[in-house]
Amino acid sequence: MFRKLIELIRKEMLILLRERQTIPVLFIMPVALIFFLSLALQGAYQDKLTGRQVLLIIENAAHTPKANLLESKLSVNKMIQRVDRPRDMDNDRIFEDGRAQTLVIIPKGFDEGKKPVELYFNPAMDFGYKIAVRSLITSLTVEVVMGIDNLENVVANFIIEKTKPNKMIPGPLQHTVPAYAIFAMFFIAIPMSIGFLREKNDGTLQRLFTYPIGSNLVILGKLIPYYLINLIQFALMFIVGIYIMPLFIKFPFSLGAHPWHLIPITLVVAAASTGFGLLVAALARAPEQSSALAATGIILMAVSGGIMVPHVIMPFAMKKLAMISPMFWAHQAYLDVFVRDANFSMILPKLTILTIFSLICLYIAGRKVKWM
Amino acid sequence: MKALEIAQITFSYNQKADNSASGGDEYALRDFSMSVEGGEIHALLGPNGAGKTTLMRLITGQLRGYRGRIFIDGNKNDDRDALMSLGYAPQPVSVFISLTALENLRVFGVMAGLSHDNLKERSHAVLEETGLLPYAKKRASTYSGGMLRRLNLAVALLHSPSLLLLDEPTVGVDPQSRHNIYETLKKMNSAGVTIVLCTHIMDEAQRLCSRVTMLDRGSVIFSGNMNEVGNLEKFFLERTGRGLRDD
Repeated sequence: MFRKLIELIRKEMLILLRERQTIPVLFIMPVALIFFLSLALQGAYQDKLTGRQVLLIIENAAHTPKANLLESKLSVNKMIQRVDRPRDMDNDRIFEDGRAQTLVIIPKGFDEGKKPVELYFNPAMDFGYKIAVRSLITSLTVEVVMGIDNLENVVANFIIEKTKPNKMIPGPLQHTVPAYAIFAMFFIAIPMSIGFLREKNDGTLQRLFTYPIGSNLVILGKLIPYYLINLIQFALMFIVGIYIMPLFIKFPFSLGAHPWHLIPITLVVAAASTGFGLLVAALARAPEQSSALAATGIILMAVSGGIMVPHVIMPFAMKKLAMISPMFWAHQAYLDVFVRDANFSMILPKLTILTIFSLICLYIAGRKVKWM
Repeated sequence: MKALEIAQITFSYNQKADNSASGGDEYALRDFSMSVEGGEIHALLGPNGAGKTTLMRLITGQLRGYRGRIFIDGNKNDDRDALMSLGYAPQPVSVFISLTALENLRVFGVMAGLSHDNLKERSHAVLEETGLLPYAKKRASTYSGGMLRRLNLAVALLHSPSLLLLDEPTVGVDPQSRHNIYETLKKMNSAGVTIVLCTHIMDEAQRLCSRVTMLDRGSVIFSGNMNEVGNLEKFFLERTGRGLRDD
């Protein structure tokens, strides 16, 4: 029996690897998605995780002691990156070209309180950054005008920040590597259902049943190769994420405190994706129909499940809706490992949901498919 | 000894739990019986939709849920090991077209339980028999229609069955491939293999077969020696009528 199973797996692998679409769809596409989307999302994650320095032009027309002090305080602040005004550029052009986001003019008469500091912001500047920069300049101006060395020290007894370390927002690689690994793993449904329906329609599947082999063996011979390919896909994406992407992106790919939890998660996600593939094969009647059905299902699951649009930036209603997607649970399980250092009991409910999804798919497929 | 014995088979694709058809006259086979003696070539004839392919699929264990009994070489066909006495070439070419002929034979040979050495030896023999040896390592997707039919037959012959079921083995092939298939069948029969040939080509049946069973609408309408029927095509049309069978 074991020899027959190995032969069925070998046959399926040969057929799969000889299909022209297999390598591009299952391996090249997700690597490309990880590469481009990690780079594209880098800025967005940088803003969320580490903050970005605001490009600021300071024009000190006063050159008086207080004006000079304000200029130096602004120049050395960590939130600010001072830049010079480009020659022959008006404010609109400066903002339009992204040379600076803020312009501070310290006019003559500032020391005497005759003229206020003028602020110009890029009208398209992120509102949060605008508030922060304005608040910073206000504080520093108060320090200079009131003769306070450091306002933060003065208010230290009144305000203390107790924010916990970030365990919510993944880095760009922590998001894209598992996200597009899951996406690619579910794409196995396309070649899987096409191959299954082709064999059903040309009679080779039925022909196998004219030999003394059970239907369970044939089903296993169909599922195991795709399951193994799913595991290879994840391993490949993981290697790309750890070793290749850090060459192009500043963020490290932290694996979290319990990286071995990735093993049970990946085993369960692979079961869910192969279960989905079998379900598509059972519901479709022709190979063309199965690829359309699988692709539509996968993209809907990816969009709603926080794969294409990060779950952290979704509005509340969408966050709730995401829970209907098995990809959401798979992605969150990976993020539990990468970002939240979760122990296994925290991951287990997600794995249970994915296992139930997989069993439901297999049950419906088992009921629907006339194997013989 | 009878190579194949079918006794009072009734089968419907719309079978209910109580073994009755779901309504109307929807039986694919009804009280169908036939027997095939060892060593003969037996023609199974009938118009489209008569139930020939259904019968083949019942014999080969692909369809279940029928009433009646099927014996292959004296063993009930639900004993899956009894299926090993049987070689089946289905009407659609049922081979893996992404695989080469050798790879196809390897898959089906392992399913039939052939040992490594036996598989190698038999693969060579059946490829030679069907004229595919020079193309053994080419993918089936590159084969012509005739070559695919011959590969379909080679798979059926691979495990040296004593009973061969062929469902329209020469449909859509050129005269050369047809001739090769006829010669192979004659040779197999001379070696003691019993053959059940399901075909629409009356000349083919008359030329190769010593006995004939005709069925229509799931029931036997004639069973006897080929020499009893005279001109087979004329006899067939007399028994089954000249009206088109498009329903």
